[in-house]
Amino acid sequence: MTGHDAIQPMLPLYAAGALDEAEGGRVAEHVRTCEMCRRELADWNLYLQALPEMPPFQAPAGLVEHTRARMIEQSRASAAARRSEAVLLGALTVFGWIVSVAAWTLVRVLARGSLQVFGANLAAGMNWYLVSTAMVWMTAAAAAAVLAKQIEARRVYEPASR
Amino acid sequence: MMLAVAVDPDAYSNADDPVSRLRRGDAEALTAVLSQYQHRLYGFLMRLLQDPAAADDLFQQTWLQVMQKIGQYRAGARFDTWLFSVAHNLAIDYLRRERNRSLDEADESGETPAVRLRSSDPGPLEELLESERAAILAEGVRELPPMHREVLSLRFEEDMKLEEIAEVAAVPLSTVKSRLQRALLGLRDAVERRSQRGKRP
Repeated sequence: MTGHDAIQPMLPLYAAGALDEAEGGRVAEHVRTCEMCRRELADWNLYLQALPEMPPFQAPAGLVEHTRARMIEQSRASAAARRSEAVLLGALTVFGWIVSVAAWTLVRVLARGSLQVFGANLAAGMNWYLVSTAMVWMTAAAAAAVLAKQIEARRVYEPASR
Repeated sequence: MMLAVAVDPDAYSNADDPVSRLRRGDAEALTAVLSQYQHRLYGFLMRLLQDPAAADDLFQQTWLQVMQKIGQYRAGARFDTWLFSVAHNLAIDYLRRERNRSLDEADESGETPAVRLRSSDPGPLEELLESERAAILAEGVRELPPMHREVLSLRFEEDMKLEEIAEVAAVPLSTVKSRLQRALLGLRDAVERRSQRGKRP
C-alpha cells in the first residue's frame, strides 16, 4: 500500500530519519507528487529542528560531589563487608575442622577404637580423615552459598537520603 | 585512593580513558566520569521523570549501580548507552511504583494522539519565532507518557540511533519506531492544543 493514507502516518518517522531505505523511498516518491504531504513534511521538519534545541536541564550544584561521596562510602562498605565475609568463612572452616577432630577423638573413646560402617572402620585415622574432609568442604560450600545470598540481597538499594 | 570495584584489573590495563580507569578502581577517574556525564544523565532523568527530587535520587542510584555493575560493561561498547540503560531500568522501577497506568499511556491531562487528516492551514510552529519553538515543544513533551518522553530525549537530545535506543530501553527496534511515531504525533497534538487554548478569547 503506497497511497496517501498509508504514507501520511509515516511522515514524522521519515522526517526523523527513522525509516529504512525502502520505506523512505516510497515516502519520498509520494511527497514529490502530493502537495498536502509536502506541506505536512515541512511542518514536521520544524518540529524536528526545534526538538534538539529544547532548554536543557543542568545538574544542581553539589549533586556530583554528593554522589561521589556516596560512591566512595559504598565502596568502603563493600570492601569492609568482603573482609568480614572472608573472616567469617575462615572461622567456619576452622570450626569445621575442630568439630571434626573433636568428634573423631570422641568416637574413638566411645567406640573403643572401632566404628564399623559397611565393613570399614571409620574410627581408623585415614578413613576418619577422608570423611571429615568431605564434611568440612560441605560445610564450607553451604557457608559460601549463604554468603553469596547475603551479597545478592545487599544489592537492593535503599532510597537515597539527601 | 583505590576503590573496591569487582573487576579484573589486567583486562583493561591498556586503555587510559576515564571509564577504563574507573573499571580499575581509580577514584580520580570517578570524578572525571561523573563530571563528564552529569548534565546529560540528569537531563535525561528530568525529561523522563519531570520531578527534580526523583531525578536527584535516581541520578545517585544510577552511579551507585554503575560502580557495582561496571564489571558487566563490555569494553569497546558505548559507555553512554550502557549508563542510560542503567538509569532507564531504575526509572522504570520508580515510575511503576508511582503510576497505576502503563508507561506508554498519557496522563489524564493528556489526550490520545491520533493520526488525522491535516488541513492546509499552517501548523502552530510556523507562526512562532525560532527561539519560541523549542520552549513550546518542551512544554508539549511534558504532556506525553514517560516512554514517549524518553524516546524523544534519546533521539533528539542525545542524538542516539534507533538501535541504541532499543538497547537502552531493552525493547525491539519496531517498538522504538512505534514509540517515536506516537511520541511525535502526540507532541504535535499537545502543541496544537496549547496553540488553540492561546487563541481563545
